[in-house]
Amino acid sequence: MSHHTSIQPADVSVAGLLRTDDLQQLIDALIAAGYDVIGPKIDQCAIVYDQITSVNQLPRGWTDLQEPGRYRLQQSDDSKYFGFAVGPHSWKKYLFPPQSIVSTATRTENGWQFSTDAPPAPRLAFLGVRACELAAIEIQDRVFLHGPWVDPIYKSRRDAVLIVAVNCTSAASTCFCSSTNTGPRCRSGFDLALTEIAGGFVIETGSESGRAIAARLPLESVTEHHHAEASSARAQAEAMMTRKLRTDDLHDLLLGNLKHPHWDDVATRCLSCTNCTMVCPTCFCSTVTDVSDLTNDHVQRERKWDSCFNIDFSYMNGSPVRNSIASRYRQWLTHKLASWQDQFGTLGCVGCGRCITWCPPGIDLTEEVVKLRDAVHANSEDPS
Amino acid sequence: MITPFPSSHPHNPWLAHSVRIQRVTQETPGVATYDMAFDDASVAESFQFLPGQFNMIYLPGVGEVAISISGDPGQRGVVPHTIREAGNVTKTLARLPLNSSIALRGPFGSSWPVESCVGKDVVIVAGGIGLAPLRPAILHLLKHRSELDELTLIVGARDSSLLLYPERYDDWRAKGMNVLVTVDRADESWHGCIGMVTAVLDRLWLRDASKTVVMTCGPEVMMWYTVQTAIRRGIPSAQCFLSLERNMNCAIGLCGHCQFGPEFLCKDGPVFCFDRVASRMKVEDL
Amino acid sequence: MTLEQPNFLKLLCATRFAEGLPNKHLQCLCRGARLVRLSAGQTLFREGETEPDVFVLTSGHVRLSMNVPGRGAVDFLSAGPGDLVGWSGLISDGRMTATATARTDSVLIALSGQCLKEACEHDPQLGFVLMKRIAQVLSQRLLSTRLQLLDLFAEGTSA
Repeated sequence: MSHHTSIQPADVSVAGLLRTDDLQQLIDALIAAGYDVIGPKIDQCAIVYDQITSVNQLPRGWTDLQEPGRYRLQQSDDSKYFGFAVGPHSWKKYLFPPQSIVSTATRTENGWQFSTDAPPAPRLAFLGVRACELAAIEIQDRVFLHGPWVDPIYKSRRDAVLIVAVNCTSAASTCFCSSTNTGPRCRSGFDLALTEIAGGFVIETGSESGRAIAARLPLESVTEHHHAEASSARAQAEAMMTRKLRTDDLHDLLLGNLKHPHWDDVATRCLSCTNCTMVCPTCFCSTVTDVSDLTNDHVQRERKWDSCFNIDFSYMNGSPVRNSIASRYRQWLTHKLASWQDQFGTLGCVGCGRCITWCPPGIDLTEEVVKLRDAVHANSEDPS
Repeated sequence: MITPFPSSHPHNPWLAHSVRIQRVTQETPGVATYDMAFDDASVAESFQFLPGQFNMIYLPGVGEVAISISGDPGQRGVVPHTIREAGNVTKTLARLPLNSSIALRGPFGSSWPVESCVGKDVVIVAGGIGLAPLRPAILHLLKHRSELDELTLIVGARDSSLLLYPERYDDWRAKGMNVLVTVDRADESWHGCIGMVTAVLDRLWLRDASKTVVMTCGPEVMMWYTVQTAIRRGIPSAQCFLSLERNMNCAIGLCGHCQFGPEFLCKDGPVFCFDRVASRMKVEDL
Repeated sequence: MTLEQPNFLKLLCATRFAEGLPNKHLQCLCRGARLVRLSAGQTLFREGETEPDVFVLTSGHVRLSMNVPGRGAVDFLSAGPGDLVGWSGLISDGRMTATATARTDSVLIALSGQCLKEACEHDPQLGFVLMKRIAQVLSQRLLSTRLQLLDLFAEGTSA
């Protein structure tokens, strides 16, 4: 199927109820349809995304406690399969791999020969994509597919993916997707969507591929009671979300205050460690470098994730343009929340909160925006 | 009528075209013009560029570097690039023998507004190697000289030995361009003007400032004050164009390196109308 | 060097220096004006000497230089049509801070520093307008000098 235009909510319909005990059948159906299933599992004390073949690999009964600069797993009171928020991984690593080969060069008697042939993209089924992550994928689609140039690597991988979304039924303290209007409800951009309730999953389909998978599942009809339970489970995620980001004034607030002293204030706390950009599901900066074998006859151009927090990211004519941490944090935040709107017609932030959780000193972009706004307003109201 | 050139988009933007270094012309110390010829005849035939656009010059095993094309947009088959030895790629390039196999991707980026110069006066202000990205515009405008009114080139350099393309100035003059040259530092052999390009622009006779187009390329500080001088002389800022420079890696707006506020210099630039970038040019470390 | 009296007002009005200056003030400036024609290579004034006049270049090219022991005359700036040279006579004691030499045949209007000073004292409005104009000229020359000092082309742009 093609994901290049977002699936309209009109395509979304409820397919039925999948009993909790039958979840394995969904994984089996995806595998039978030729997909490798990628889902959440616990690794190194965090819930990450990796290949799974069994429901037993899912972090059932676990939840994540998240705060600025802090992430801990803990057993929950229930035995939900998807009773957590988002971890350090995002689906970005499959669509825009941390490392990939964009082209190769081979030295021949007739000079260098170049190729951009790539192995076929893996057919992946993403199981457990949250609303904020659907939004992040849609944003990266705009970056890699809808500009004047299409990235062939992203495109081939994106075309080969099937998305099984999961509606959040709880929220971490760092979540703020209702502020960025990207969740918590999954409304479009998926093939299948699950809402976990006691005893099973209410399944919605959003595409032909999704309906084909649903047709292979032992679905039961969804009762009024199930609907009500699903609605209230989804409402609970909304109710738990306390973090807010006012977005209407972000563009002019940030771009109108590029010389504000608050950037220096953030810089006293920011380590410029790049964590926020690595965990961000929309950050797309990269660097391509040459890697050759010992004979220098075979060369690969390797693309790796890069970050605007790396000092040589802006290196030009012998020195970096953004030499200070203040200028690099400013670049990141103004890009994410302001100039992204000019470039791609949307915020670059989906409210997933990863950058807050995984920032070692716990810098919270929602708070930094408030501090900047307050400082700007306080200054403009200053009678002197 | 001056018609814009179509830009050729290779199917895969990462695929490089293999080229040979056909000729090297030493211009100034550390600066040479490399004429590159495509191996593939069909690429040679179809490769077209707009004045001001750049290529990614690729030395396999060493890396890529963004270089403005400095040749005649109307000429096919050979693509000249005037390159200063600065980093790994350009230093390695300078040591390669003639006919070496290298590669390029391109052309990329925006172009000088040569189409909008019809019926106008044009002042081109170049500093140092900044004349190289302007040369395609100069050659284009000279070819369409009758469609313009006044055409002036102001060239600035550190000293007379660092002037780019000095042997071409007389030819350009003969074709109807007023070429004014100034240097920062004069030795005894230099009989021309001394001082910044801004001082020359300051005393340039303007037929009608409101109908004058300015194109400038050189160090950012020079371009800024060139445009300030132009504005003071009554030239509308919307008619001033400059070519900015940042670290470029992918050239197709996907790697994020060359961002300048909302602009990706590789696809939205490098040539901009001054009005579009003015508010950011004096923001430090942007 | 000095020729018969031409129409100084007309000559001066044609220069960039006169842009924006009211006619009545320009008329004042022309009182006591003379025309100076220099052949290429001729010196207009020398560093360290006192020069009573202020010059507006109407055509040609004059170079300013300073003498540096061991290096001789170091040329550092060109003046062209519309440029003001020898302004020390108006601002300070008239001791020249550079040597001015014509590189090409040049024509200048010499305005009497003494007359200008007196006119400015007598008519403060004229004084203000003239000093403002001179300040503009000097600020631009200062900027130009700073840009030279920055040695912008030393690294240059790697186009």
